[in-house]
Amino acid sequence: MTSAASNHNSDTESDSNGYNFAYLDEQTKRMIRRCLLKAVAVPGYQVPFGGREMPLPYGWGTGGMQVTATIIGQDDVLKVIDQGADDTTNAVSIRRFFARTAGVATTESTLAASVIQTRHRIPETPLSHGQILVYQVPIPEPLRFIEPRETETRKMHALQEYGVMHVKLYEDIARFGHIATTYAYPVKVNGHYVMDPSPIPKFDNPKMHGSPALQLFGAGREKRIYAIPPFTRVESLDFEDHPFEIQGWDQTCEFCGSDHSFLDEVVTDDEGGRIFICSDTDYCNQRFETGARQEAV
Amino acid sequence: MTATNETHLFAMQALSTTFSPALSPATSTAFSLAGLCAGFDDPVHQSQQVFRRALTALSEPGTVQNVPESPAPEGAHSASYQLCLTLLDAETPLWIAPALRTDALVSALRFHCGCRLVDEPGQAEFALISPDFDGDLTHFAQGSHEYPDRSTTVIVQVESLDAASTWTLRGPGIDGIRKVGIAGLDPRWPGMLADNCRQFPCGVDLMFTAGTALMGLPRTTRVEI
Repeated sequence: MTSAASNHNSDTESDSNGYNFAYLDEQTKRMIRRCLLKAVAVPGYQVPFGGREMPLPYGWGTGGMQVTATIIGQDDVLKVIDQGADDTTNAVSIRRFFARTAGVATTESTLAASVIQTRHRIPETPLSHGQILVYQVPIPEPLRFIEPRETETRKMHALQEYGVMHVKLYEDIARFGHIATTYAYPVKVNGHYVMDPSPIPKFDNPKMHGSPALQLFGAGREKRIYAIPPFTRVESLDFEDHPFEIQGWDQTCEFCGSDHSFLDEVVTDDEGGRIFICSDTDYCNQRFETGARQEAV
Repeated sequence: MTATNETHLFAMQALSTTFSPALSPATSTAFSLAGLCAGFDDPVHQSQQVFRRALTALSEPGTVQNVPESPAPEGAHSASYQLCLTLLDAETPLWIAPALRTDALVSALRFHCGCRLVDEPGQAEFALISPDFDGDLTHFAQGSHEYPDRSTTVIVQVESLDAASTWTLRGPGIDGIRKVGIAGLDPRWPGMLADNCRQFPCGVDLMFTAGTALMGLPRTTRVEI
């Protein structure tokens, strides 16, 4: 019947290391797939899932990797970024992991990728319809530092009892005169669930709102999956007299001259010398190349 | 993967030895694999492809996704059957509406998915129904306010998903509005869907299928006529 044919396929496609396509076994993928469908149906709600041990430590993106392993197919093109960069240890290892276990094509270009796994940044290049952004999440529960009990935070989400979160932001205003939260800035998804957008800078929060791409979040240690479907309302929490603001820089990127991207400060010597460069390496390279070409013309 | 196939082969051998006509002629027809509908030829990649379409269907409600042609048991649409092969296993209780509960479908799902069939719709994680089923959507598991994910995903077999547009959809996954035309739903449906949406975060998520076409309608989608 079908078994002979599928044995043949599995022999030709399974990797030399003997693992299933994209590392995870089919039973695990089915379980995560069911969770992903529920996550998409209830935007911002954290769906518990049976997180597996991955061959790298918690905190290195095990949640994101399980989501990526579950959704990725042979035709996908994978991009992995770590704080915006394609060439840092975490990004390189995860990209290699999937190139090896799934044999998928990889890229550093945001435009060419169909699946982008990210640690703590949203690419500067606007995402398009059909792309999937997979976030690595360390602590999925935005209320966890305010209320340590899971039973209570669940009840708070159920009752939309989010006053404490506003109190936390207000304490910032009382102490510093402005909301001092700069990353993992809480958002409200589709007018219901308050959600942790993972530790992305608040600079990236507006990109989540109405994004044409599907956004999936995986937390491996805490074993939670959540999602934002495309074209969904995502509002950063704020006050009428202290509206949400993103950070800005007086400097421009040292390489590409960008005055509108998220900049990293790099110390260049021990005499106080420092430069600012784009955190998104692909975006910076694109701008640099087009800029260089224009000068040559 | 390999392990799954070995298990299947083993099961087939065991079944054919135990129930070969020579040994027990009386049970040979009941347990014969001769009429069993095939599952996926290539479970790993086919289930991934069907899942991605299901994910797109639920994250972009009202869009029609098409799964590849493949054989389905009598009475089941190809898209419904492929969704079951992709998402069901021993961990997922399934409820099938009596009208659709054919031997061919039941034996195929038992063999390929190993899923448990339940008698009460409220116990099911997945349900397969036709639009004229007896009862309404509140008979299925709705989830709780603490755990809204513990609700039934309902696969509804309809006549067609590309009829003249009669419904306007709004909600997450839709840029503005989207118009859809689903043929073969009786007049109870708009009311049931409005009630389902109103209960958010509880409620069921729906997948409409017609042949190889698939359309998702999660609980967040508001339907206007």
